[in-house]
Amino acid sequence: MKYVGAIVGLALAVIAVAMLRDATLSTHQEIDPDSRIELVLHVRTNSAEAGQTLDEMAEAQLLTCRLEVSSDPVSPLEDLGDGRFRVVLAPSMDETDQRQFRGCLEDWVIDHVTASVERLEPIG
Amino acid sequence: MKAIAWLAGLATLLVGALYMVVSLNRWEWNRALFFGLIVLIAEVGLATALILRRIGQLAPRSDIDPAVLAALRDTRPPRPDRFAWLEPNQLNVFITFLVGGGVILSGVAWLVDRIAANTTTPAGEEQLARQLGPISYPRGGLLVDDVTVLAQAVPGCDDAQLRRLLRRSGQGGRA
Repeated sequence: MKYVGAIVGLALAVIAVAMLRDATLSTHQEIDPDSRIELVLHVRTNSAEAGQTLDEMAEAQLLTCRLEVSSDPVSPLEDLGDGRFRVVLAPSMDETDQRQFRGCLEDWVIDHVTASVERLEPIG
Repeated sequence: MKAIAWLAGLATLLVGALYMVVSLNRWEWNRALFFGLIVLIAEVGLATALILRRIGQLAPRSDIDPAVLAALRDTRPPRPDRFAWLEPNQLNVFITFLVGGGVILSGVAWLVDRIAANTTTPAGEEQLARQLGPISYPRGGLLVDDVTVLAQAVPGCDDAQLRRLLRRSGQGGRA
């Protein structure tokens, strides 16, 4: 009985590691260079440094995370109010890039800033 | 209280591990690193607590008769003062230091002597040999051969060139 439990536990651990590997593996597809993707970001700050505005922090977060994907902003960062910002990037992103970009934007990249992605969808 | 501490440590470990996996799945590397650090801290804490608990279980139980223990403590022999020679009013300390210092100095002197014997003596011998060179006897000795002796013994032969020749032959030896 003890060995059965150990074998089941080992099998579950192997399956979990394999699933995590698949979830974090980069698999890229061909992207139309003329395609675009829209990002709507909700940005919040906590104990921000004096003189640093929410716009600057949102732009810094965006410019930091766009280095992890192949897309670049093709429109200015538009302030939608209430801490929400919109920007269009080109070309669009495949599924892996979208997950990586979303993960970076929602990660702890810059101190005093947290962001959540409200929309990240191809347009046009 | 112990149960609460164990539960808190275990919950920290499990929740930290869960959030670490979730953060990895969401590609949030900084969050994953942070929660991984939390998991590591909780793991080390729990492992330390487990080891300490096991050591506590291995310790002998205290089922000792207090009367026996008191009797043993009362009859304990006085502890010998092994460092009495360090007392300031004792002269033994100077003797100890003198003997010890003498032993150490003798050792250092022996070491210096050995090094000097192996370095300066051969060099001194070579220098002395060089200094003795100019005052040494001529090679082959001072004796001249029979021909030179006979030539020098010729009566009326008082030639300066012949004397120079005889001296040269005398230095040259009996080759």
